[in-house]
Amino acid sequence: MRTLVRRILDKLFTASSGLAVLLMAAALVLILGPIIWRGSDAVFFDATVEFRRMQLGELHRGDAEAVADELDRAHAARQKVYDLLDRFSEGIDTSGPAQRAKEVLRQYEAQLANRVEAGAIGESDSRRMRRRAKKLRNALLDAYEADEADAALARLADVLESPEREALAHTAAGEFFRMAARYKEVAARLDMSLREKYADPLASVRETIGLLLGPRPGQPVPDLSQFRYGATRWDQATALLDELLWAEQWVSDGAGRPMRKVRTRREEVFAGTELAGLFPLIERDLEEMMLPQSTVYWQYFIDDSPPGHFFGGVGPEAVGTLLLTALSMLLAVPTGVTTAAYLVECTRGGPLVRVLRTCINTLAGVPSIVFGLFGLACFVLWMLPGLGLSNGSSILAGAMTLGVLVLPIVIRASEEAIRAVPASYREASLALGAGALRTFVTVTFPAALPGILTGVILSMSRAAGETAPILFTAAVAVGKLNWNITQPTRTLSYGSYDLAVGDRLAAKVPHNQFGMILALILLVLLLNTAAIVIRWRIGKRLRGA
Amino acid sequence: MTPTTAAAKRRATAAGFDRPLLLSARQDLGGWVLRGVGRSLLLGIALTSVLAVAMIFVFIVKEALPFFTGERTGELLTSTSWYPKAEPPVFGALAMVLGSVYVTAGALVLAVPVGLLAAVFLSDIVPFRLRQMIKPAIELLAAIPSVAYGFFAVLVLAPWMQEHLSLPTGTNALNASVILAVMAVPTIVSIAEDALTAVGREVREGAYALGATRAEAIVTVVVPAARNGIFAAVVLGMMRAVGETMVVWMASGNASQVPSPWWDLSQSVRTMTATIAGEMGETVKGSVHYHGLFAIGLLLLAITFGLNIVSELLLVRGRRAAKGGAK
Amino acid sequence: MRRQKSLARGVDMATSVALAIGMMAAAVWLGGDSVMAAGEVRTVQIEGSTTVGPIADAFAEAFGRIHPNVSITVKKTGSGDGAAALVDGRCDVATMSRFMKPAEFKKAVDNGRMPVAHAVAMDGVCVVVHPSNPVKELTTGQVRSIYKGEITNWKQLGGPDAKIVVISRDTSSGTYETFHKLVMKKEKMAAGTEYVNSNPQAYARVKTTVGAVGYVGLGFVDRHVRALKIDGVLPTRRTIAKGTYPVARPLFFFTAGYPKLGSIVHALCTFHLSERGQEIIEAKGFVPVTEY
Repeated sequence: MRTLVRRILDKLFTASSGLAVLLMAAALVLILGPIIWRGSDAVFFDATVEFRRMQLGELHRGDAEAVADELDRAHAARQKVYDLLDRFSEGIDTSGPAQRAKEVLRQYEAQLANRVEAGAIGESDSRRMRRRAKKLRNALLDAYEADEADAALARLADVLESPEREALAHTAAGEFFRMAARYKEVAARLDMSLREKYADPLASVRETIGLLLGPRPGQPVPDLSQFRYGATRWDQATALLDELLWAEQWVSDGAGRPMRKVRTRREEVFAGTELAGLFPLIERDLEEMMLPQSTVYWQYFIDDSPPGHFFGGVGPEAVGTLLLTALSMLLAVPTGVTTAAYLVECTRGGPLVRVLRTCINTLAGVPSIVFGLFGLACFVLWMLPGLGLSNGSSILAGAMTLGVLVLPIVIRASEEAIRAVPASYREASLALGAGALRTFVTVTFPAALPGILTGVILSMSRAAGETAPILFTAAVAVGKLNWNITQPTRTLSYGSYDLAVGDRLAAKVPHNQFGMILALILLVLLLNTAAIVIRWRIGKRLRGA
Repeated sequence: MTPTTAAAKRRATAAGFDRPLLLSARQDLGGWVLRGVGRSLLLGIALTSVLAVAMIFVFIVKEALPFFTGERTGELLTSTSWYPKAEPPVFGALAMVLGSVYVTAGALVLAVPVGLLAAVFLSDIVPFRLRQMIKPAIELLAAIPSVAYGFFAVLVLAPWMQEHLSLPTGTNALNASVILAVMAVPTIVSIAEDALTAVGREVREGAYALGATRAEAIVTVVVPAARNGIFAAVVLGMMRAVGETMVVWMASGNASQVPSPWWDLSQSVRTMTATIAGEMGETVKGSVHYHGLFAIGLLLLAITFGLNIVSELLLVRGRRAAKGGAK
Repeated sequence: MRRQKSLARGVDMATSVALAIGMMAAAVWLGGDSVMAAGEVRTVQIEGSTTVGPIADAFAEAFGRIHPNVSITVKKTGSGDGAAALVDGRCDVATMSRFMKPAEFKKAVDNGRMPVAHAVAMDGVCVVVHPSNPVKELTTGQVRSIYKGEITNWKQLGGPDAKIVVISRDTSSGTYETFHKLVMKKEKMAAGTEYVNSNPQAYARVKTTVGAVGYVGLGFVDRHVRALKIDGVLPTRRTIAKGTYPVARPLFFFTAGYPKLGSIVHALCTFHLSERGQEIIEAKGFVPVTEY
């Protein structure tokens, strides 16, 4: 009986230890899975015509003619939407005409500036004319804002009957009078109560459509690139469509209980008006308006992106990471290999070796944030300003910090590799009359090279993935693509942290969040796989294959 | 064997074979001096690591010293209130130290059993070829950058905890412990597995000869024989967990408190590393707060240095025991 | 023979790695945005607050189109860091969501740099909760009690029976300073307060945690979190601009001395006075300093 129990316990033990390994594999899959799955969304996705327009406009990539054709088709489908919106919003939502009025004044001011430069008019004249035009514009804006038809008409009369009408009629400011005349017609027949009821819902519908379709053709180009294009991805477009069709509200569920989210179709808000037809129209025709096509956006890994990563790729971050890694390797590898060579070839044990080994082990054990502190105190605040090289964080400081961080890894791997070279190699070389240095350089080192390379690659992957040491020494969140090593840079690791917890826009573009971390993981996995392959081939060779 | 043709002469010079077999006194001395100079040069380069360690200690101590010579030192390890911006500021780091302890202990509770079992599996149960395939996979787990783990912790695990475990907050000690355990396991596995394989075959064969099942042999004989290495593995896993920054910064909630009741890991805690990472950016350089953060850095350095020494001693003893045992 | 082969293989590997890096670099240079214009590239370094950061980002972007040979880097690690960088001369503009402290001023003057403040926008610190929370308004006293740990459950305020998860910004942030001064009246927060490092992080925590309460800048309030009325006033553009909202504050750009007229830094520091600048500030969710 006891034997059976013991055998069962044995089987259980084997099973549980196998389970432990399975658990680790599961953890690996669980952690990498979502990252790879959602990160690949940044490269493989359905792109809309807005995406292709953005590629053309911001990155100068793509076939201009084909994009123009597609835009024509898309606009044909969108025009119905704009018409419906315009017809309904005359008088109710005046933000469009108000924007236009501001733009007109800016154009007029630019005209005046040109004329002053050309010498056609004097400075004080131009100032006077500008003041007058501004008065007209403000009167027009007041008219738009007015809640009562009478007040609006009064302000409009101010504009239409102003004495400057003649003088300004043929300049850019002449537009004011046309706009005032038009609004006069609208105001005369408008029911102001409608405005109260529909102004806010209409504004939010307009906003969503603006996010979906981008700025209307003919409108001035916004300054910030995030507002220049509509939804660039089909999944973004469908999400915005959902936001458009359904209005969310939080309603009370009783006193002392959390509120409930209630969705109502937005059509019901506009029931009975012309705008109610907008929603089924968009729902039906969205594909024609956006023209989605499945795309492989491999340039994600080399494109730049505006602050906030609203579109574009991780190019500068990748370059920053590579620069940091390469520079830190440049600093760490020669030092590390030489140290390992010294430890193996030139010493026989004794106090010096023990001191060296303790120091190397200590270095290996220092936490990465303490490296960051050291880098800040030593390189950023003391050494580099002292040498006059840079005044703050820089790639150089970060690389030096990372170099010190990976030094022990390089030393350990090199030492192992050099020790693994059979003594017979060395002895043969010495027997043929070569000196110690020549033996090392021509015999031992080449034989140990694959092992050393493995160590170098592993430390490269470590340096690329570290964030804490570069937090205070080299990393910035926003900045141009940068080859200057006395300046800080964006990196994949810090960028991933920033996007995961930082930027507000990042939540709207989760594919970018996951895409950046995917880029980092791909880099690290690539390097590690290379190391594994090299090690496997050495193993084969050593086993005599 | 003096070279005669011109080509032979060139080859000989290149290979250094034109040197006479008997060196003159000057050549001998010159060679000896050159050798000495070369070795000193190599020693100089090798001493960079010593220099680096020295500089790390020097700079951290230098910046932490003003805190210890200032007025607010006493409470660093006795008070749990960390209010550097209050007037007067309070620098009590006890809550953070305990937070690090909580998170590390939680991580070890999860990582040590899994790690040991996996190490045993790899060293004793699995055939060699399979082991060669699994080891790279474990190293892959170790190679994933900590930012990726933090990413997972804050974007996937925290909402899951809030929803499925009905915790009020998903960024807490439990979250950080779980992720740190996943990060520490590969370290524990690889070192423990090395220690277990170093135990000689005779030990195992002796146990089998006395009729033990494989499980009994491992549990009663092999693991105790490798215990120094296993302790070292645990200590190194502990070091990894204590020194980790990004994951705890993103996932532990950063509340400078001691959870009450003390066993409630679902409350938010703060670690020393997260404090440094979070507050250093915004501190005025040269202020008391700045020096206080360096003081915490010094504390961290001291702790990891201590753990390092312990693990070194254990590994050395383990190696000696393995060599001594397998006679 | 074997050592020659391994040496050759090693060299091969090193060459292919170098080639890969070189190709990637060439790809970025050719395929990406044309950044390196011929001639001098002037860099402007902006460092400081995470609250004012988005404004600096947006200005940097707008300027990038007008002056392509100027490179503007923005670092967002906190107001204190910005001040320190300005004091040491490591940055040209320090963005801060609080005014400089006397100690920082003194250090700057000692270093020969006279800090000049430019108030570029107004911001309101809004107390936000999850949208499912029925609590709609609180007084400053109640908020203070919550953050001091005296009120721990929403049902004490008329809400559901749920533990209050208190979120605060880290103690070095300018947003924290404003909150600490105007709402907490300089009293200490409870030990159980969770600290996050940036506005977006606080926003994300409140958005995903049903029982959470936190405070963020006005630009971070949208339909996923609800801003509470404080002392009866809802934080909007109007109430902040007029000063009726109790927790309003100006946001600053600090420079060392008044920037040279006509320089890029001068343009950056006066951009908020133009209509375009103010439209950008509004687009980012802040309140322009004047009505335009």
